[in-house]
Amino acid sequence: MAVVGPEETVGLRAREKAIAETFMVGFPWLMAIWPLVNTTLWLSLWPFVMSGILPLWMGFLIATLNVSASYLPSHDAQHHIFVREGARFHWVNELIGWYSLLPMFAPLSVLRVTHFEHHKYTNDPDLDPDYPMAASTVGGALAKALVKGQPRHERYGSTLRRLGTPAAERAAVHGMIMKAIQYAILTTLAWSGHVWEAVFLWWLPLKLSSVYINFYLSWAPHRPMTGRGRYRDTRAFKSLFGNIGSSGMQYHIIHHLYPTIPLSRNPAAFRALRPILEERGCDLGGL
Amino acid sequence: MAQTIGIGFALGPLLFGIGFLAPLIATLCNSFGISSPLGLLPIAFGLIIGAGLGLLAIIRKTWLW
Repeated sequence: MAVVGPEETVGLRAREKAIAETFMVGFPWLMAIWPLVNTTLWLSLWPFVMSGILPLWMGFLIATLNVSASYLPSHDAQHHIFVREGARFHWVNELIGWYSLLPMFAPLSVLRVTHFEHHKYTNDPDLDPDYPMAASTVGGALAKALVKGQPRHERYGSTLRRLGTPAAERAAVHGMIMKAIQYAILTTLAWSGHVWEAVFLWWLPLKLSSVYINFYLSWAPHRPMTGRGRYRDTRAFKSLFGNIGSSGMQYHIIHHLYPTIPLSRNPAAFRALRPILEERGCDLGGL
Repeated sequence: MAQTIGIGFALGPLLFGIGFLAPLIATLCNSFGISSPLGLLPIAFGLIIGAGLGLLAIIRKTWLW
């Protein structure tokens, strides 16, 4: 493995940046269309299942895929990739982010504030909001994902309180309101004779997707969550289920180096940056 | 504000137990022909169990163990 000396680092970084910037141009249409299809499909499951057109078991399978796939477009929106912050049509970015998250019923604002903290303090045991997923084995990570889903075991609420910024306070209010609305909808469905639809189109898919998302998005690219620093805190890896099955996380190292490259362009950016990443001694996980 | 939000989140499991688990337990009882103890209505049984589980989840900070 090549060793990069200090005198080479500046040139290498400039080359790296120049390559990365070629993947930051243009509107990421795939990521924008994704929530339009995914969230709309999830919403349409309700009338189809309730009217008996679609069997509940099939609705459950589709809903689980929908909820699991709902986070990623919002992730691009969190980074203002669709329309940059301050631009005239930035509301489009926000609309995509919020609409994408409807199946998860999580506020874009909460995810954005806490995700930026994750980028700032990746793998920091005290400050990384995703650190509760730290585990050295697959079994340990799955167990941590279950633990994280228990009341007051996640670290997002405490991160918002610790920050105490206007954006964090606003996000906390959004979180509270969304949680109240979600409970109200579940309660209404359950008490009005639609308890099975509530369980199989929303509640259970949420639980399953939460384990999946925490495993692939929080743990797998950072495992065992001990590495620190730009080229050490995130790794590439080969997933058993491929790049699509792992929600594009095989190339998550690119996202941590250049967060404004859209998810759909990370594989190409990885291939272009691979020689530099190898020179940097990054863990490329056999990809 | 932060305190109000904290209280709201803290009561979440209880609200979930009453609002969602209670009718779910009642539906399960009805679907599988399980009779409630002490001649309780299925929904009354669901409310007792749902609220109880919610309270336990608040105290123990977990639904699972």
